Amino acid sequence: MKGKHPEAADRLAPAVTRRTVLGSAGLLAAPAIARAQGAGRPIKIGFVNPRTGPLAAFGEADAFVQENLAKTLAEGIRIGGRTHPVQILARDSQSSSSRAAEVASELILRDKVDLLTAASTPDTVNPVADQAEVNEVPCVTTNCPWQPYFFGRRGDPAKGFEWTYHFFWGLEDVIAAFTDLWSKAETNKVVGGLFPNDADGNAWGDAKLGLPPALAQKGYRLVDTGRFQPFSNDFSAQIAAFKAADVQIVTGVLAPPDFATFWSQAGQQGFRPKIATIGKALLFPSAVSSLGDRGQGLTTEIWWSPHHPFRSSLTGQTATELCDAYSKATGKPWTQPIGYEHALFEVALDVLKRAGKLEPEAILGAIRATDLRTIAGPVKWGSGPVKNVAKTPLVAGQWRRVSGGGLDLIVLANPGATEIPIGGTLDLLR
Amino acid sequence: MTARVTHGSRIGPIIAIAALLALAAAPWWTDRQGLRLLGEIYAYAALASLWNLLAGYAGLVTVGQQAFVGLGAYTLFGLALLAGVNPLWGIPAAGLIAAIAAVPVAALTFRLRGAYFAIGTWVVAEVFRLGAAQFSALGGGSGTSLPASVLAAIGNRAAREQLFYWLALALAAATILAILLLLRSRHGLALAAIRDNETAARANGIEVDRTRLAVFVIAAAGTAMIGALIFLQKLRISPDAAFSVNDWTALVIFIAVIGGIGRVEGPLLGTALFFLLRESLSQLGSLYLLVLGAVAIAVMLLAPRGLWGLLADRLGWQLFPLARRLEPRSSAPPVPAATTPAREASP
Repeated sequence: MKGKHPEAADRLAPAVTRRTVLGSAGLLAAPAIARAQGAGRPIKIGFVNPRTGPLAAFGEADAFVQENLAKTLAEGIRIGGRTHPVQILARDSQSSSSRAAEVASELILRDKVDLLTAASTPDTVNPVADQAEVNEVPCVTTNCPWQPYFFGRRGDPAKGFEWTYHFFWGLEDVIAAFTDLWSKAETNKVVGGLFPNDADGNAWGDAKLGLPPALAQKGYRLVDTGRFQPFSNDFSAQIAAFKAADVQIVTGVLAPPDFATFWSQAGQQGFRPKIATIGKALLFPSAVSSLGDRGQGLTTEIWWSPHHPFRSSLTGQTATELCDAYSKATGKPWTQPIGYEHALFEVALDVLKRAGKLEPEAILGAIRATDLRTIAGPVKWGSGPVKNVAKTPLVAGQWRRVSGGGLDLIVLANPGATEIPIGGTLDLLR
Repeated sequence: MTARVTHGSRIGPIIAIAALLALAAAPWWTDRQGLRLLGEIYAYAALASLWNLLAGYAGLVTVGQQAFVGLGAYTLFGLALLAGVNPLWGIPAAGLIAAIAAVPVAALTFRLRGAYFAIGTWVVAEVFRLGAAQFSALGGGSGTSLPASVLAAIGNRAAREQLFYWLALALAAATILAILLLLRSRHGLALAAIRDNETAARANGIEVDRTRLAVFVIAAAGTAMIGALIFLQKLRISPDAAFSVNDWTALVIFIAVIGGIGRVEGPLLGTALFFLLRESLSQLGSLYLLVLGAVAIAVMLLAPRGLWGLLADRLGWQLFPLARRLEPRSSAPPVPAATTPAREASP
């Protein structure tokens, strides 16, 4: 199973070049192709994700997700009476937007992929989509709030983009989920905001489209000390301002190391909010458990969990089954990107099946007509906030220690996504 | 008498011109990916050659050249997005602005020596990066993209790729030619003297600071133009990418070191080796970076003058007529008339 999969072969045989790997993978796949009547050329899906660097946690599940789909991929796709085998050409962005642009351009120009996909943060998704747009290659991305994706690329809501489509939630969903979560406890409604000067921080802290106007409208007072440089070592100024304003709720979007610094300094300096709801920093169990006891009770956005009531359109697995399969294969706890990465390939294969022809225009047409129930929720373009964005549900929840020593993420607020069940009530921080 | 010409260097220019013509015809013998890769190779060859000029000849070991790559890139994006200027004009504008910016940077950093100078240039580059992160008109810390419509102004897809390719080739060729002409001039002798012994050069009346300033400004302008072209193709800019010390200085130093510092051929050989390694190993993730590190260590230990240095020392190879050799008067083979007359060092 492993040998038939080109990327698995890529990892298993480090000493050979990519070309020979593709060649030998072709040989291994040959019997399967010969069996299929009227075999067509292989369909290539390019996939860019950070597998090394500061964002590596997002790419941790890459190998599992692709091996989980190996059987489906080997069956190939029937287009016009011919069966085409499917190859996923996965590339590492090394957590750098420059490298992401480079590998995307390679996938387009050298590998001549039929469909380009990418996931995880604006730093990966935006450069890949930019290359696809300019080179007129159909592109589907996920795992990045839609505002930094769309406005970060200078998108014009009236015109949109031609070749690049995206599915995920947006800041309005974060705001709804966070404020719903906060309403479940008694606080003075004073919120301290931590927004760094990076793609996510600028979008969340934007005075027009971000949290500040929305929180004001919902009756919260936001204490925002301004954009700060990511990977700062000193949050004393923010902590002092929060203490002076009697902040009881802390929110923001931080890289895991930044939140760890802030949280330990807050503890040292005697700043004890009742609620801390942070985006991005608390997605991964590893990041939360590294905070020790102080990781207990932190709250965050949840895009996907084993409790999401969705099924894969490819393998029929439920969210719980997919997470269990991941834990069994890797011995690690589930993470949120697993579901979205799986869903990205669900959309990619669904699009290719409906395209009718292996032409960029036909594939683009199929993307526009997508209406698929994925393991991350329904994906359908055309009804989103802008033409290139389809929205998927977002909820919020809390990290809790479970018996046995591990941590689990419990869904506590689900406005606008009531199909995702609530698993408990909010505990305040101590 | 002294002579700069060897057998290799006499046919060198002919080979160089033939190679240049063959490379200029690349759109007819390779596909778009080939053009893109060659363009990237030229960019790195030019960046490494300019760094070699600074470190290998002027004794300015800088780790802050990313300041000018980023400045060039931001100039191009700023002019294209905020002033609506055709992005192609952004390239010479980037060179001009970087040359101007290089003067105060030099005034600050030239007060420092050796390792302090290296750290000083890095600090300046960080200041540039943080400055760009505050510039919200170009996305601040998030960065911004060049919309497809801006590129459409240059031409259609195929024409654009060819144009970018020729621009990269022209920039690299012009960079190397300029370096050669500079080194063959009186200033080249001054640079060689500074490289060998700064105090002695100063004592002999060489205007060390002025020569260094000239080299620093030229290198800044060249680096910025290449940076502008690189990001015109990447389409997306952010302070971390444009002022990346890894991409625009660490890799460039790696190339110059394995190729050979203080020789014009060194960075060219180094670029070829680097791309060979990258194209065959980059899918290995962290292991690839370990291999690069191991190669750098091995070369530094076994061939401290770089791989070209090793070849040149053993075999007396020289692609460009630069090094001056003593030729014994009596037994000298008849020197052809084409030999460049040896110039006297006359500062």
